[in-house]
Amino acid sequence: MIERQKIETDVLIIGGGTAGCMAAVEMKEQFPQYKVTILEKAHIDRSGCLAGGMNAINAYLNKGETPESFVRYVRSDSCGLIREDLVKSMSELFEYCVKKVEKWGLPILSDEHGEYVPRGRWNIKINGESLKPILARAARSAGAKVYNWITVTNLLTDGDRVTGAVGFSLRNGKFYVANAKVVLIATGGAAGLYRPNNAGDASHKTWYSPYNTGAGYAMGIRAGAEMTSYEMRYVALRTKDAIAPTGTIALGAGAPQVNAKGERFMVSRSADIGGDGAPTPYRAHGPIQEIKEGRGPVYLDTRGIGPEKVKELKKAYLDMYPSQVLYWLSNDIDPDREPVEVQTTEPYIVGGHCQAGYWVDLHRRTTLKGLYAAGDVAGGAPFKFVSGCWAEGVIAARAMGEDLEPMALNVISEEQIDAEEKRAFHPLKNREKLKRGILPADMEARLQKIMEQYAGGASTYYEMNEEMLAIARKKLSTLPSEVNAVVANDLHQLMKAHEVIDRIDVAQVLVEHMAFRRETRWPTYHTRTDYPERDDVNWLKFVNSVKDQKSGTIKMKTRPYEQLVPGDRYRP
Amino acid sequence: MPVWIDPDKCNGCHSSRQPPCLRMCPGDLIVKDHSVNKAYLKYPEDCWDCLPCIKVCPEEAIEFHLSYQFGSSGAKLAPHIHKTRDFITWEAEDTQGKKEEFTIRTKVMKIALDESIEDGPQGPDFSI
Repeated sequence: MIERQKIETDVLIIGGGTAGCMAAVEMKEQFPQYKVTILEKAHIDRSGCLAGGMNAINAYLNKGETPESFVRYVRSDSCGLIREDLVKSMSELFEYCVKKVEKWGLPILSDEHGEYVPRGRWNIKINGESLKPILARAARSAGAKVYNWITVTNLLTDGDRVTGAVGFSLRNGKFYVANAKVVLIATGGAAGLYRPNNAGDASHKTWYSPYNTGAGYAMGIRAGAEMTSYEMRYVALRTKDAIAPTGTIALGAGAPQVNAKGERFMVSRSADIGGDGAPTPYRAHGPIQEIKEGRGPVYLDTRGIGPEKVKELKKAYLDMYPSQVLYWLSNDIDPDREPVEVQTTEPYIVGGHCQAGYWVDLHRRTTLKGLYAAGDVAGGAPFKFVSGCWAEGVIAARAMGEDLEPMALNVISEEQIDAEEKRAFHPLKNREKLKRGILPADMEARLQKIMEQYAGGASTYYEMNEEMLAIARKKLSTLPSEVNAVVANDLHQLMKAHEVIDRIDVAQVLVEHMAFRRETRWPTYHTRTDYPERDDVNWLKFVNSVKDQKSGTIKMKTRPYEQLVPGDRYRP
Repeated sequence: MPVWIDPDKCNGCHSSRQPPCLRMCPGDLIVKDHSVNKAYLKYPEDCWDCLPCIKVCPEEAIEFHLSYQFGSSGAKLAPHIHKTRDFITWEAEDTQGKKEEFTIRTKVMKIALDESIEDGPQGPDFSI
């Protein structure tokens, strides 16, 4: 008999990360009368993307910049198609959020006039080794109730209204049933859909948090929420092996990309789109073409930057990716004397860099009543990074506060709770029921093999066509029924089981999105070899999807693009 | 193996049911073996190299190692939190024994040796 723990709250926040913590603080500050509860998968002090730290705020309006100039930049960086309303609204709150976190204790580098020190056009330098604990303490001090170690398995719904969520505790094995008037989903994006760059004891040496496994996307898909732009995957240019961010080197040391022959290929082959300053997808696509055509490896040319700059680089990585420094130490690499080799990552689905996620209105309301989305899980607004996720948390909190007043708690039927409990714990029950079940790790390997080989993985240079995607679709279609046979031997493995079950739901939607958009707008993120050109006549619009609740089919639709900020969409 | 808990240095944080390293691992990868009162990394293949476990260990018992596939062992990188909690000093050493130090501003939050989990603490090995 599984024990049940019931929670009643006004506001339920799923995911105590960048967006979730900021939303909790804003909610308690602006609407102190409401009860705020956070369900967190790990421990809120060091969970999610920020666990290791952060060395820069990469979306900030430095002196002379405006929300309009930001929209123009993000629009061109995303190849002419973004939700301009969403991007503009988040940029208006960058300063509000950053100043707040600075007040909570985050060290931000300022010059003698008290101005933040820029690291690039939209970036400021921080010492964010402890950024996550700082946010967590703010959320707790504001009065949010935090439940750590809860793996949330599904949303609770009543028709098209979201009434709460359910999950299990990794620590005490209880089944948690949270009944809420409004729910904010802030679970982050999805890693692990494709084979990771490294194997063995480094298989989780990924760039994106390997513990962000698309739970929020999957729950929304299963509940019938409208999703957007999954086909704009994120493939990041990262340092070889350590998979550390390259902005630290490219922006911090002004290092350009060179190929094996020392040629600045972005300048010689991509000058028309900005050379080393080309839109982000092209800065991943360029080096991949060099490697594909036999001119690899590819490097960021740090030679001659001097010992002072090297020291600065190392300090910057220690605030965020210490393994990069240990990698240089172990391999006797001095970036002043030899260039830093780079590679591209496995494709991730992440709405904070690209725009895969829930289709939301200006106030971050999803298409389901009572459900809001913020951060990496929310779609339409790329270039969020840390500060944009904070801003979306604030926007969603303000909307929830306004919407809450007339709302009452819905009664959740025992029948629904029973069904969800059965679903949540079935891999554990399978220990007794099945002689030989499927281990989560085996199911993960199956999923990653299909995606890697037929849905544009790194081994095919991220390329795909109609026929490959049809095979991916067919192979994936068998998995949802096979999840009934997934077996878990303890609570940790039960979490791993749900992580792979969630990713299967996300992968199926991803494949439909990639098949539906018949153009190549974002090379490498979505390279269609059968439709290799950008097609503004037919595809300057958003590709959206809703999974039909009864039949389980994924229904595709489009939504129009609206230009709010005038100007050439392909120029920053 | 990316991080390694030295069993000679680990004291299990005495009677703690949930030592800091175990709580701060975002992947739930560290467990405490209560029979010998020591913590260990149970799932090394799932480690992200994010290092909160190392930073919060009061005994500095956790070492950071690069996965062997990435390069030779012998180099060293170890963070030390200052008593004021306003700075972190990283001690670095390359394979030739050349040492370097990096001191960086930060704002380290206090962390308790134990913390009760909602409705009673249990180890992650607990299964129903």
